[in-house]
Amino acid sequence: MEPFEKINERVEVITVHRVGVDPSVAVFPAKMKYKGREVLFTELGLRHPTLKGKRMVHVFDVSDGSNDFRLEYDAERLTWTLIEILPGHYRGA
Amino acid sequence: MHIDLNSAFATTEQQAHPSLRGKPMGVTNRISKYCCVIAASYEAKALGIKVGMRLDEARAIYPDFIILETDPPKYHFMYKKLAEIMKSYSPNIQMKSIDEGIIDFHGTREVINTRSLEDIGLEIKSRLKTEVGSWMRVNIGVGPNRFLAKTAAGLHKPDGLDIISHKNLKETYAGMKLTDLTGIGTHFEARLNANGIFTPLEFLDTSGDVLKRLVFHSIIGNDWYQRLRGYEVDDRETKLGNVGRQFVLDKRTDKNEELLPRFQYLCETTGKKLRYNNVDARGVLVWANFQSGDSWYQRKMFKTAFYTDAEVYRRALYLFNQRPGQIVTAMGITLYQLTPSNRSQASLFETINKEEWLTVAIDEINERYGTFMIHAANSLKGKKIVKQKIPFGGTKYFELLLGRA
Repeated sequence: MEPFEKINERVEVITVHRVGVDPSVAVFPAKMKYKGREVLFTELGLRHPTLKGKRMVHVFDVSDGSNDFRLEYDAERLTWTLIEILPGHYRGA
Repeated sequence: MHIDLNSAFATTEQQAHPSLRGKPMGVTNRISKYCCVIAASYEAKALGIKVGMRLDEARAIYPDFIILETDPPKYHFMYKKLAEIMKSYSPNIQMKSIDEGIIDFHGTREVINTRSLEDIGLEIKSRLKTEVGSWMRVNIGVGPNRFLAKTAAGLHKPDGLDIISHKNLKETYAGMKLTDLTGIGTHFEARLNANGIFTPLEFLDTSGDVLKRLVFHSIIGNDWYQRLRGYEVDDRETKLGNVGRQFVLDKRTDKNEELLPRFQYLCETTGKKLRYNNVDARGVLVWANFQSGDSWYQRKMFKTAFYTDAEVYRRALYLFNQRPGQIVTAMGITLYQLTPSNRSQASLFETINKEEWLTVAIDEINERYGTFMIHAANSLKGKKIVKQKIPFGGTKYFELLLGRA
């Protein structure tokens, strides 16, 4: 029933820091390496901060044009984690 | 100006997940066999899927209906972003709920109050798209009072911008039913009908005296007379009457080892709400719904006021243990008879002072490291299961309870 595929693994990410846009959309995770495969992201859905205790974590919901990915950037530990994937072909089960 | 994100949670999820855009989807607190849709996308609503429907009912209408669990930090960000945009136009804003608010432009600076409100409305729509995302849509209504501004915001969903003024007031009412008016449900509609009032125009034409004496039997009648004409009567602050929490069981059971951790967690969060408002309580009401369809409640007013989590739980448990031994489907606690706290005065009794010091220390640690970092051992299971619900009314506890460890 749960639409998301849970991953929770550390990944490598290349980000673009854009100028002249609102700070909420200024940081764009452009590319991710996951299980030896490069994933190019085409859209930033939403970026929002959240607290885990006193640690600031930035959640990035992004898309590669087919599937949706949730990445978390831990601002204290400076790490990226792929949290979950929503397959683009998902239909309510 | 009334601003309404409408279908806020579903729209926010579609903004976050491009693959969900344009699809019938919804949001629930916890996906389960018995879960209900608490927010539905416009596409789902167009198919007849309504808020409050069970998941199986929604999927009977559209089998591919997608349901997600709520993600409170995401909605909290959206709420803060909306409030931030609104505050950039006026310091006088009021967030009515997580997805709607009011901007009062009275007394604003010249750079704002010389602009047309239609321009400002269009600018707010544009800013939501550029500062949050292109999928964000908002309904905006402008009127001489809160009531008419909200009425205007409801005229052309999902992406409307409407103005009600003295020029189009009657024309607007002519196109509406009584129950389209905010605050008029079937109960008040029946009262109006009983007095020969069947349309908003007839409502407008009725004298204040008739509304007060015959329809509403109180000053509410006068308020309606003023409200319908655009005078402001809804800017009063309401006094806090009670605090509470409720929970629909993830696992229907009559066993205390399953019920009490969840119940204790509800008591702890209710205790936090008490202290957040700096009030003490004297009354406790606990209730339960059962699988048989029966309901039960018990209430008691205590002689002394209380505010600690332990005291809330002790008193609530005393009542909860008096319930019938049936399978529980939902339960809740409400604290009432609230009075301003006098905790700054030291008690003559050392045990009471120690309890207060312990409560203050725990609250400080939880505020620093995350709400419920420290909590009763028995509520651990409850903490893992009882999610922080999205507040549909006032939002003041949202940030308090969102800071979970």
